[in-house]
Amino acid sequence: MSLIHKKTKKQKNLAMVIVGDRCIGCDACYVSCKTDWDVPAMKEAFRTKVFEVEGEDVHGNPTIGFLPTLCNHCDNAPCVDVCPTGASFKRDEDGIVLVEPDMCIGCKACMVACPYDARYYNEEEQTVDKCTFCLPRISNGLDPACVATCVGESRNFGDLNDTNSNVSKMLKDATSVYKLKEDEGTSPNVYYVTLNY
Amino acid sequence: MRRHNISRRGFLKLAGASSVAITAGITGLPSPLKASAKQEATRGARFLKYDRGVESPSFCEMCFWNCGVNVYTRKGVIHKLEGNKLNPNNRGHLCAKGNAGIQSTYDADRIQSPLIRTGKRGEGKFKKVSWEEAYKYVYKKLNPLIDEFGPETLATFMHGTGEPYPHMLTMAIGSPNITIPAYSQCMGSREMAWALTFGTGVSGHETFDMSNSKHMIIFGRNMAGSVQVREAEDFAEGLARGSRLTYIDPRQSESAVRATDWLQINPGTDMALALGFIHVIIRDNLANMDFARKYCYGYNELSKHIKKYTPKWASEKTGIDAKTIERIAWEFAKDAPNVVAIPARRMTRYGNDTQTVRAIAILNALMGNWGVPGGIFIRSKVPVNFPKEELPDAPDARRADGVGEGEKYPLAPTSLGRTNGIYEATLTKKPYPIKAWILYGTNPLSHSSIGVNNLYKAIDNLELLIAIDTQFSDTVMYADVIFPESTYLERYDAPFVQKDKTPFIALRKPAVKPIYDTKGCFEICKGIAKEFDLDDWFEKSPKEQVEELSQVLSKEQMETLEKDGVLLFEDVDPYPNASGSALNFSTSTGKVQLYVKDLEEMAKKQGDDFSPLPVYKDPVMPKEGEFRMLFGRTPHHSHARSQNNWVLLELQDDTPVWMNPKDAKKMGFKDGDMVSLVNAKTEHKSDHSERLKVTKRIKEGSVFIHHGFGHTTKAWTRGYEKGTKENWFISDGVDPLSGAAAFHNGFVKVVKA
Repeated sequence: MSLIHKKTKKQKNLAMVIVGDRCIGCDACYVSCKTDWDVPAMKEAFRTKVFEVEGEDVHGNPTIGFLPTLCNHCDNAPCVDVCPTGASFKRDEDGIVLVEPDMCIGCKACMVACPYDARYYNEEEQTVDKCTFCLPRISNGLDPACVATCVGESRNFGDLNDTNSNVSKMLKDATSVYKLKEDEGTSPNVYYVTLNY
Repeated sequence: MRRHNISRRGFLKLAGASSVAITAGITGLPSPLKASAKQEATRGARFLKYDRGVESPSFCEMCFWNCGVNVYTRKGVIHKLEGNKLNPNNRGHLCAKGNAGIQSTYDADRIQSPLIRTGKRGEGKFKKVSWEEAYKYVYKKLNPLIDEFGPETLATFMHGTGEPYPHMLTMAIGSPNITIPAYSQCMGSREMAWALTFGTGVSGHETFDMSNSKHMIIFGRNMAGSVQVREAEDFAEGLARGSRLTYIDPRQSESAVRATDWLQINPGTDMALALGFIHVIIRDNLANMDFARKYCYGYNELSKHIKKYTPKWASEKTGIDAKTIERIAWEFAKDAPNVVAIPARRMTRYGNDTQTVRAIAILNALMGNWGVPGGIFIRSKVPVNFPKEELPDAPDARRADGVGEGEKYPLAPTSLGRTNGIYEATLTKKPYPIKAWILYGTNPLSHSSIGVNNLYKAIDNLELLIAIDTQFSDTVMYADVIFPESTYLERYDAPFVQKDKTPFIALRKPAVKPIYDTKGCFEICKGIAKEFDLDDWFEKSPKEQVEELSQVLSKEQMETLEKDGVLLFEDVDPYPNASGSALNFSTSTGKVQLYVKDLEEMAKKQGDDFSPLPVYKDPVMPKEGEFRMLFGRTPHHSHARSQNNWVLLELQDDTPVWMNPKDAKKMGFKDGDMVSLVNAKTEHKSDHSERLKVTKRIKEGSVFIHHGFGHTTKAWTRGYEKGTKENWFISDGVDPLSGAAAFHNGFVKVVKA
């Protein structure tokens, strides 16, 4: 596979489609991801995390929602724009946003720029780290670690350029689709959907 | 919980409170550094490689559910656990606990060699000894006790895949006192009620066909939050396909939030609600009469009995509106038979648990959902003739726990025993002295039924406490001799054979050699047995049992099992009723027993608790100023065994006390206050203060904490003294029918810390 920096249209448009009401808040994704990528043993270090959001409905009854979060692999990625060295970059062929550890100087500008708080500083490796959409796994025929383990089958992954892909079909069938903080102009590639079976 | 653990990387920011927290100086950035051509060329190349490593088959031991696991090792080190897609227990997924299994093996806090106590009991002073010394120590201490008190002075508690071996050892020595806490600390009352009604238990791998259900009525079984993977999957799948969910719980759990109707019931009144549903179904002719006529015993008795349990009556007891009770009964019946009513799994609650589940079982029977998609599926056995294992004769001595014919709990199974009964016998020395325990993978100080105070006293009465475990625990710290077991990733176990919707065999092979000086439970028990000259009973090691499969399976089957780690037997029918086959029920009447004839005699002598039809009794209530102490599972930990696992501790390391806003107002507390619990009966005050979580998610009059925390063993460097141990605050009740424990009648005061 040719690698990087050829200014072509994305051959693939990789995306995560999360069926909101199938997430049961079990956090299997958090542990699977931390284990596979040796994310340091501290609460602040993670590539994906599920937030439990407590609230109330209009009748004053308590509600909880679960919100799985990860890097949105934005088409207009603020983290890439602010990176002084080019360590943070977006792959032309599939849109994955990566941090090349050899080029990262640890300035953390990307962490400030990211509206999703998707990055952390890895003290052990002295580099900023984040979700790679499990590029090493998907390059070798596997699902991303969080998708593979997802108990509620809330997380789905695939190529939106392929109209027959699971994720394309889900977006087509969805009764509602939203993305986080679209108003920031980031064009994120993580979708939250509601399906009607 | 999680919300409050967020420090730098907070949800607030996500929710739009614009870049808070991080203010790392954008202005102070170094000037752009140009990447070299070489860097440009290789940028990101590392992300294309993935070494999966060597795969070996196993099944999970982080909880009792035993999901299929593929273990991946790189250069002899376990790198990753993945769910086995072919294993019906989990279909490729693992929960947080299952994913964290690696940490249980690579944990320097583990027991690293055999140990013998040198300090006072519980002081935590041990000396490292050889295996021979440890075996001989057991013989030297246990043999005189057997001589003096008889072999029945030994009692054994077991939880884990190695159970057959302490079982064999105890039987060979000649003691009948073998207990599996899964009965009296957990599922006992549920299983008893199901067996009385249907002639078979629900089983440890539940038979609720949730993925195909049109309406699930769930009585406090937290499907989403307990995460037994297949059940959580089926629950999510059923809901996604449009099933209604009526969820009944004083606490809004992870499952309650998905409910069509969440009924925040008065604690201890579930039976009244079930009886109310049954009343409406019978009153309005909504029962599946074809099924009732063909398969049920005692419909007429039930119709008479249920008359007094009107929705209005049920409403007064449960706090649920009578109209809602009627509506849900109608909706449930409308979708019959593809509906299911599900009792709690840990049905050790209010002391009326068996009869409560009886009412739930009747609710199912009236829908005719037995052997129907979306109802209750039928399990099939693995159709293989495994070689019969020779067992020692059943010991002559009577059991110490009140189980068996002519005893206080004649219906309780001798194969499982009453753990709570053994605690009591050890404490009271009645019916005879229990002087020695073997603990295999169990930790009574963190989850038991007679209160921690009494348990310490019971342990004081022991002359010998033997522990076999992978890790220390509060109770293992009190042991006189400790045998370190290899973890599930380091050892063989016997083939895993599961009777199920799709029955299967699964394999466990060691992915790595033991990291420390540990052995499998088979080798440990055989080693002890050898001192007593009883090791002949330990004929085939787990490895040999796996190899022996080739004698009973075909070559093709063997190849599939070796390749996939699991072998399915798919030629079975989980829905015989739907496919028109006749049903069999192994009850005494051969029918589904709405009315349990077997109980008539006991009811005459011992009253309503034993009634052939469930008779409602009000739960005991807390006094003014006291709260009912409720506890339950968190998705992030299993039992009291995982709270030293670093990655699971990141997900949860405390046990906030949940309190209703009305109660908090009365008490003058506010959210975030630090409080302690005081047991209203023993006046024990928690050493640990907790954050108060003021939330409508818990019913007025009750407080809630998560189960499994508050460990006092310093051998746990990470989990030590994290959270509150609920075991100090639960009740010591007993369900009169099953003999299982009742924990939810414990009352506490809440004081400012």
